[in-house]
Amino acid sequence: MDTSRSYLEPSSFSKKLAATIIIVYTVITLIPISWMVMTSFKNVNSAISYPPEVLFEPSLEGYVNLFTNRSRQSQEYLDSLPAPETWYEELVRSREMVITGPSKFLGRYSNSMIIGFGSTFASVFLGALAAYAFSRFRVPLKDDLLFFILSTRMFPPIAVAVPIFIMYRKLGLGDTHLGMIILYTVVNLSLAVWLLKGFMDEIPKEYEEAAMIDGYSRLQAFFKVVLPQAMTGIAATAIFCMIFSWNEYAFAVLLTQFNAQTAPPFIPTIIGEGGLDWPAIGAGTTLFLLPVMIFTIILRKHLLRGITFGAVRK
Amino acid sequence: MNVKKKFKGLSDKAVAWLFIGPSVFLLLAINIYPLIYAIRMSFTNFYANKIGREPQFVGLKNYIKVLNKEAIWEKMQVTANFMFWTLLIQAVIGLGLALLLNRKFKGNELLTTLIVLPMMLSPAVVGVFWTYLYNPQVGLFNYVVNFFYDFGSFDMIGSSELAPWSIVIVDTWMWTPFTMLICLAGLRSVPNYLYEAAEVDRASKWQQFIYITLPSVLPFLLLALLFRGIENFKMFDMVVELTSGGPGSATELASINLKREAFEKWKTGYSSAFAVILFVTIFGFGNVYVKVMNKIKER
Repeated sequence: MDTSRSYLEPSSFSKKLAATIIIVYTVITLIPISWMVMTSFKNVNSAISYPPEVLFEPSLEGYVNLFTNRSRQSQEYLDSLPAPETWYEELVRSREMVITGPSKFLGRYSNSMIIGFGSTFASVFLGALAAYAFSRFRVPLKDDLLFFILSTRMFPPIAVAVPIFIMYRKLGLGDTHLGMIILYTVVNLSLAVWLLKGFMDEIPKEYEEAAMIDGYSRLQAFFKVVLPQAMTGIAATAIFCMIFSWNEYAFAVLLTQFNAQTAPPFIPTIIGEGGLDWPAIGAGTTLFLLPVMIFTIILRKHLLRGITFGAVRK
Repeated sequence: MNVKKKFKGLSDKAVAWLFIGPSVFLLLAINIYPLIYAIRMSFTNFYANKIGREPQFVGLKNYIKVLNKEAIWEKMQVTANFMFWTLLIQAVIGLGLALLLNRKFKGNELLTTLIVLPMMLSPAVVGVFWTYLYNPQVGLFNYVVNFFYDFGSFDMIGSSELAPWSIVIVDTWMWTPFTMLICLAGLRSVPNYLYEAAEVDRASKWQQFIYITLPSVLPFLLLALLFRGIENFKMFDMVVELTSGGPGSATELASINLKREAFEKWKTGYSSAFAVILFVTIFGFGNVYVKVMNKIKER
């Protein structure tokens, strides 16, 4: 049966040509990312040498600078100190500086984690409930409701930022983890409902009906039969929500300052002496982008399906 | 058997409301209410940093001010240029890449994943690290460009002629994979029998491309451009960190200007009117675009 397809297969030459072009594009597209990772392992001087150094002596200075605050001291003062106890203290001393304390990076990073996971869990959970209802029940004004949910995604964040700012100030939610979790949950909710509805539609109704005939209530059937079946879709949706919350900048920079600030508004503010400390920014960027890149590569199948699926449905 | 007592627990209707209720409530509270609030404020002379002063109703004054301000039209022009070039370039490269990837060579899936990586990254952080690549003294971008053709020293972010291109390049680098993925989904949805029939009718490869491939991908491509268009109309994070709207206002997109009016000058009433105008624009254009898109699909 497959013989008829043979002449539809591209010739081996055109396949090779296509592969070559794609590989060239891939290499070009990966250069900026690899350059940032490389910069994170340079020292301050080799990061600003010209022509740019491709081969260099690796150093952890960027990572040390990212996690610490330092101050410059005179040589006499440094000599008067006891010998450094750790390798990173030694590294900082060799630059004629002393460590004055930990930097804010770890706190910002954990804020990103808390807000990211919190909002992802909430939007996937609420999204799954709504998606199931839209998929199975006759809901009055269903299409209007679904369109309403989708249209909320078109708002420019800044347009609603001022009212949310004022509202949060009144409710005491400004610059709090809870406030940001609620906000990101709502922003992700529309995507979650739409993506999950597609996955729920694919699960045969007969599954939960059989369970209900066996004595399960509707709620039990949903939690014990439907949710486990929808796990793939839930995972794909969760990754999308997580990536959005992890990367979000506009709301974070406008609504948070100290308590609940996430990493994206913080990384640009890393400065060294006399300009930006590129290895430290490189280190922060690398640590921040790494989880997303690993996730993308491990879960590529779900992810790619999710992007096209979500878009094509709308 | 009593139909109503068929299953135990809550009725389906109760479950439906229980399941949809929380989502609708949250969307109303955090999305719709602020929007109505913003519309209300747009008719007042409210300043969010002056607490205690009663805002007064000023009618359409804010709207007239926004529309008569020449600077606003400049920002709209900057935004339109940015959208035009990013969408055009991403459509061409994205479709091209999708056509190549559709040849299903070995390692195709891994390469797709690697190409997609940039769009998963945080736009603000991407903006920061491109300032390093664009650095006129030590930047890799400048070095590579000069390696191929010696332009001498140039500053992508600092010069007002080049800065608009600096944001187009970064946006293209980040988001071409999106157009590519959607086009790829379109290409894979074309049934094989169409090509088989064309072969039987002795249509050339070129004719097959023009009469089968292109019309099937077009709706997908248009859809991808709709999403990118909406996103780039709202563009804020990447550009703020890369050029912060400068030099002068060469890359000051509408939403960056909006942020300045709302959160630096605290002209809440005025900026709300501006936000409403932007929102209506995006909605209007979006609706017209969708109508045109559906017409093309029906053909």
